Amino acid sequence: MNKTININLAGTFFHIDEDAYLKLQGYLDAIRRSFSDTQGRDEIISDIEARIAELFTEKMENDRQVISTKEVDAVIAVMGQPEDYLVDEEIFDDEPKKRTKSSTASSKKLYRDMDDKYIGGVCSGLGYYLGIDAVWVRLLFILFTIFSGFGLIAYILFWILAPEASTTSQKIAMTGDPVNISNIEKKVKEGFDNVAEKVKDVDYEKIGNNVKSGSKGFFDTLGDIIVFFFKIIAKFIGIILLITGAATLIGLFVGLFTVGIADIIHIPGIDFVDIFNTSGTPIWLASLITFFAVGIPFFFLFYLGLKILVNNLKSIGNIAKFSLLGLWLMSVVGLFIMGVRQASEHAYTGSTVVKEELYLADQDTLHIKMNDSNNYSDHYYRDSRFDIVVDRNDNERIYSEDVIFNIRQSEDSLAYINIRKEADGRNFKSARNRAENIEYNYELKDNTLILDDFLTTPLENKFRDQEIRISIYVPEGTVIVFDDSTYSGIGRSTNYEPNYSRSSIINHKWKMNDDNELHCIDCEDEDDSEEDETNRVLIDEEGIDIKVEDKDGDKLEMKLDENGLKIETT
Amino acid sequence: MNIENTKAQMRKGVLEYCILSILKDEDKYASEILNTLKDAKMLVVEGTIYPLLTRLKNTGLLNYRWEESTSGPPRKYYQLTETGKIFLKELTTTWDELKNAVNIVTSQKQEK
Repeated sequence: MNKTININLAGTFFHIDEDAYLKLQGYLDAIRRSFSDTQGRDEIISDIEARIAELFTEKMENDRQVISTKEVDAVIAVMGQPEDYLVDEEIFDDEPKKRTKSSTASSKKLYRDMDDKYIGGVCSGLGYYLGIDAVWVRLLFILFTIFSGFGLIAYILFWILAPEASTTSQKIAMTGDPVNISNIEKKVKEGFDNVAEKVKDVDYEKIGNNVKSGSKGFFDTLGDIIVFFFKIIAKFIGIILLITGAATLIGLFVGLFTVGIADIIHIPGIDFVDIFNTSGTPIWLASLITFFAVGIPFFFLFYLGLKILVNNLKSIGNIAKFSLLGLWLMSVVGLFIMGVRQASEHAYTGSTVVKEELYLADQDTLHIKMNDSNNYSDHYYRDSRFDIVVDRNDNERIYSEDVIFNIRQSEDSLAYINIRKEADGRNFKSARNRAENIEYNYELKDNTLILDDFLTTPLENKFRDQEIRISIYVPEGTVIVFDDSTYSGIGRSTNYEPNYSRSSIINHKWKMNDDNELHCIDCEDEDDSEEDETNRVLIDEEGIDIKVEDKDGDKLEMKLDENGLKIETT
Repeated sequence: MNIENTKAQMRKGVLEYCILSILKDEDKYASEILNTLKDAKMLVVEGTIYPLLTRLKNTGLLNYRWEESTSGPPRKYYQLTETGKIFLKELTTTWDELKNAVNIVTSQKQEK
């Protein structure tokens, strides 16, 4: 049983069965292609169609009869193969034309192979297209699926984008032979040898023509070479686009998928993402939006690369294109909103200030130490700005070492400590709340002030630039001794004389003067030792400089430099 | 060298001349021209003739007119133009010379 199709051939009506129809159509297409650059092609084709109609009419015994492949074969035998139509060109051509390439150039196309398939025939079709066995392609896809999951996405993409090879001509195009009716015939009848011979013949003719037509042939060849190189460059660009797109998509997919999933199923230890997250948007949504906003442009890049590499790629269709574009725009807007909300979380800085008097037992000296966080040895997440720690009651807390103190002069005879807690927030109220939730301690033991070098706050406050700023006010004349541990905590608004680097500060004793400046009380005047140097022997790139004076007052000065040698003795 | 190809080329070389000759006395449509050629074994396949006819028409050697047919669609009847007639005359002279020349060459070979 076979479906029949009604056709109108040169104004005559025929019933034709489907196989015969496809064959006839392939034949006419092949002829049309072989005339691709001939004047009056449509006229020739309509004449041929008229003749074919006539031949069919002769063969039909009655109107109801259906044309089968047998009749089509008979007509093709009478009419001749597409090559038979071609030879005349050369007899009549005033200038020899190049043979139409379609008959010889093998133009492989990517199809899905429906005859040798496990799922969608993608691997088999790709195998033909790349000229390798389908087994290797399958293996690659499986490996990619296992290691990144991308194999699956790529497979589905190819499934959607590559058409299936359903007709004979498509199958032949898939395997890479030139598609024309003669090839379909030849494949069956004559085997490979004849095709090879044909190709050789054509080559000789081509070379002959080139020699005959001199410069034109030369430029044609040159043109071919240039076109060939352009094609290679295009393919190269295609490959780069393909790799870029694919790599980015894999990266995004793996990265954001992990984050999104981690948020949904709450893997302990990955909660840190939430500490940053300010806008209240669920992480999975955020990662999905990011995936679309970044991934869609790269998908188009990938698609473009594929399109350059593969000739007959199915278009993904306007609906798909526009919905992707829409999705992308929405994602970008979403990201923008998230960004604005994130920024607004830091819009206001709130602070609380605690001022307490320091009761120094001995008014003269204040030792300052900073205390490490022995209680929180269990850091399980570290950021450059904060850690997450677990306290004694197994509560998670944010831990930051953003603690800085400065020394200032007290206006009366008492010492004070002023602790300012600061945090950011969407508005003053939330910022201040957050600031109030900062936990910070110090201790005064005898004359030693022990400051924590860290602050903590409960996890639900999130990290919003929480910080501690301490001002220590001491009366004039108080001597300050810095412990080694205070090295990183000394602030820049403390004034010193002489102005040492901070690593030098902790090695000396300082005294508060009435000008709000700390003056060093055990520093040597290092500057003095330079000038009054009496005896020296200097040898450097400038030359030799020797100056010696003994106890008796005898002097020797010797200088050897670019001006020459100079010696003076007294 | 493919013998079939050479044969075909030889036949096709004079095909133009044959077509013009067939149309010398009366106008004919494609199938009639084809039948004459096929009967004379000038043609193996029919496809060759169509580009040829179009080419001859486009170069102004042939003309055609549509005529209703009793047994199917209208037919294209080809006829020689004035240029076609002059062309045919020249070709006839050339062909006669060629025929003689080929005869002389081939018969000489046979004598040896």
